[in-house]
Amino acid sequence: MRIRPLIRPLQFRFGPVAGCIPGTVSRANLSTTIDPALAQSTINQDEIAHFSKLSALWWDERGEFQMLHRMNPVRMKFIREKMMALEDDLDALVTEAEVLQGRAVLDVGCGGGLLSESLARMGAKTLGIDASSSNISIASLHASADPFLDSSSSKQGKRKGSLTYKHTSVEDLLAEYGPASFDVVCSMEVLEHVDNPRGFLHSCAQLVKPSGHLFLSTIARTPLAYLITIFAAEDVMQRVSKGTHTYSKYVNPGELEGFFRTYRSPAPSGAPGRPWIASPRRPARTEAETRGMVYVPWNGEWVLAPRETTWAEGCNYLFWVRRPLE
Amino acid sequence: MLHNIARRARHKVLRRQFATAAEQTERDVVIVGGGPAGLALASALARSKSVHNNLSIALVEAGDLQKVRDWQQEPGTFSNRVSSITNSSKAFLEDIDAWSHIEQSRTRPVEEMQVWDGISDARITFAASELSTSTVNELSRLTENLNLQRGLLRHLSQYPEVQLFDKVKVQSIVCEAREENAWPVVHLSDGRAIRARLLVGADGFNSPVRTYAGIQSYGWAYDTQGIVATLFHAPKSSYQGPNTIAYQRFLPTGPIAFLPLSETASTLVWSTKPHLANALKAADPRILASMINAAFRLPNISLRYLQDRILEDQAMSVEQFTNELAFRERSDTIDVRSAYSSLAPIRDNVGGIPPEDADSVPPLVTSIQPGTVASFPLRFSHAETYTGEGSGARTVLVGDAAHTIHPLAGQGLNLGLADAEALTKCIENALLSGGDVGSYTSLLPYARSRYFENHKMLSACDKLHKLYSATAGPVVWARSVGIEVLNELDAIKAALMMTAGSERAGLPGQVGWELTAKSVETFAKNVNGARELADTVKDLLGVGVRQLLQRR
Repeated sequence: MRIRPLIRPLQFRFGPVAGCIPGTVSRANLSTTIDPALAQSTINQDEIAHFSKLSALWWDERGEFQMLHRMNPVRMKFIREKMMALEDDLDALVTEAEVLQGRAVLDVGCGGGLLSESLARMGAKTLGIDASSSNISIASLHASADPFLDSSSSKQGKRKGSLTYKHTSVEDLLAEYGPASFDVVCSMEVLEHVDNPRGFLHSCAQLVKPSGHLFLSTIARTPLAYLITIFAAEDVMQRVSKGTHTYSKYVNPGELEGFFRTYRSPAPSGAPGRPWIASPRRPARTEAETRGMVYVPWNGEWVLAPRETTWAEGCNYLFWVRRPLE
Repeated sequence: MLHNIARRARHKVLRRQFATAAEQTERDVVIVGGGPAGLALASALARSKSVHNNLSIALVEAGDLQKVRDWQQEPGTFSNRVSSITNSSKAFLEDIDAWSHIEQSRTRPVEEMQVWDGISDARITFAASELSTSTVNELSRLTENLNLQRGLLRHLSQYPEVQLFDKVKVQSIVCEAREENAWPVVHLSDGRAIRARLLVGADGFNSPVRTYAGIQSYGWAYDTQGIVATLFHAPKSSYQGPNTIAYQRFLPTGPIAFLPLSETASTLVWSTKPHLANALKAADPRILASMINAAFRLPNISLRYLQDRILEDQAMSVEQFTNELAFRERSDTIDVRSAYSSLAPIRDNVGGIPPEDADSVPPLVTSIQPGTVASFPLRFSHAETYTGEGSGARTVLVGDAAHTIHPLAGQGLNLGLADAEALTKCIENALLSGGDVGSYTSLLPYARSRYFENHKMLSACDKLHKLYSATAGPVVWARSVGIEVLNELDAIKAALMMTAGSERAGLPGQVGWELTAKSVETFAKNVNGARELADTVKDLLGVGVRQLLQRR
């Protein structure tokens, strides 16, 4: 089963998003206990410079970020379906199209705003943040052409959604907004660009309201992922600029799961609550989920692999975890 | 620095917008063209709940849509622009609640189809009962285009939020001056301008939207004109079934089709060489009627003889022509009482037992509805892509703007309807993911689902046209007698029925494949049939084919 994803390199390319985060740890070892560094700014200046250089290309749907554009519907589908499955208010009869309506959603490392725009169109009160000011400029400029997203347009209000961009890091945002500010926090293709993923996850998780959702997507640290995302996409086919990915920064699904087995949000009393993933073996469906994403070159589209398809999680994958209600 | 540039650019854009804000409106979907494909798309979008909740829709048409809304025609008479609506197209129109707005009494089901080779007479017959779906009892439904368009407009009248701008031309389409995310702006002849999130080209073969999008279209004009006319004939006798059989004969000059509209009226689609088309149009309508009868009945050589007479003497009288026709029938030893005689007195069709082979040829045309004879050039064209990009971004093509097809399988309008259905589905899906419906990525599934499907049909019809234009002995022999009699005629069958399935959950084209599979099964059985056909061919064709057969 390991062989099948090798078909993917044919047209491979995806994109990253400029991230935020600290320091010095270049190994994605999430189980080590780091700590005081958590509160520090976590932005990697090299990564910011890299994506600032590419920022004008964000909305070229057939250029540098083509793969990311095509990945977007799959990310949205995952978010929609997961929220739908865990819709608390069973009487509300919410349809899939409405599941994000009115929700406060944060998109960390929004890049050109690919995901943020989609979230806003689905009715979410969206805040997109990025550590690169040129990304934020492009994202704002792009959205300003769209009367549906432009807050100054009279057409706004037909739907409940809104879209705001802010040039900041997740740590600064946490300091500014305080913990538990968002129903949903998304950070797509960002984790593999940060130096201290543990600190980054910590900040993101703190921003999630009780029983809120955290959605992540990143790349697993496997030889397969190296072959596809770095060797094929950057070196051989040169579909993605060199230096976009750093193998050592890739994060495995098990490492994310491990992080949330120990991560506890403070309960209202101030005492540490229960861990986000408490089930002893496999996370319960209501706690967390990992889903592989596979690019099908002959269709030119990404597909969301079924649950428990381990081979598909060897490269690009989505991860969802929910903060317990306490 | 980039940040500053972006900010300055934004300021500029804002100022420019203010200047034109007075006459410029914004719409999410702007459809250019109020033909069947454009109206069907508008209807389908109007009907969709998610589209209704999220998108504003406008349609621009140069003609007067009120004329289409008010279209009326005397009972028993028909417009000459008629299309065969396949079962899947009909199912789509039913799904969007538009079918019920089409005047049913003016439509006619096709329950059986007879197709044969103009030279060898190798014939294939297929009936609705052959369809794998037992629920369908017709192959297709003949509908006047105006009836369909009027029905779609009636359907649209329930959705006032869909704006119809008619009697206005598209003066120009320009890409707005914006650094990032520029939208197309459609300038209308009345001074208004519409900024479009998605600009749909449903504007026909010479599509201005396609030109704006910078999409190349490749193809060629066939050296062929299609003649259309509404034909009157006597009702079928009580010994025969109702007039629900469609007939098509593949002549070397092009196929001629006779499609039922009512008990006493049918429509003609005759593809033929341009000079012949002109001569036929110029001739006395009674001569044309006789030529149509002859074209379904006489051997090709006699038909060619008659065509040459018409070309030689454009002022030929009806009497002269009838004499020529009688001469050819005599020399072809056609009994005046057989169904193959164009001269059989009309009363034979009304009373008495009809000839045994009465159903192998269409009823005798007695007259042609005045003013319905028209012709149009045939061409093959296919856009190289359906979605614009770069400075032509936010554009998509449907219907004839994307492709034009030889009418031999009557699929032109059906492809346009299928495009409208696929595009609606694509837009709905994009909305469900929060996609920008004008973006290239959002439109990819539409292009993916339609391009190959359309190309398959376009190519199949093109190849059939070429194959049946051939008169060379070996080709005719091969297509008529050998394996090809099944394969090629079945290819027509598949082409005609490919989209005929009503089970739309199944794969498109499924019906066609099933038919192909079936034809392989029955191949052995039909080898005998082929030998019998050989006899007919011997009679009809010259020495070349006969020698080939004898050698066999």
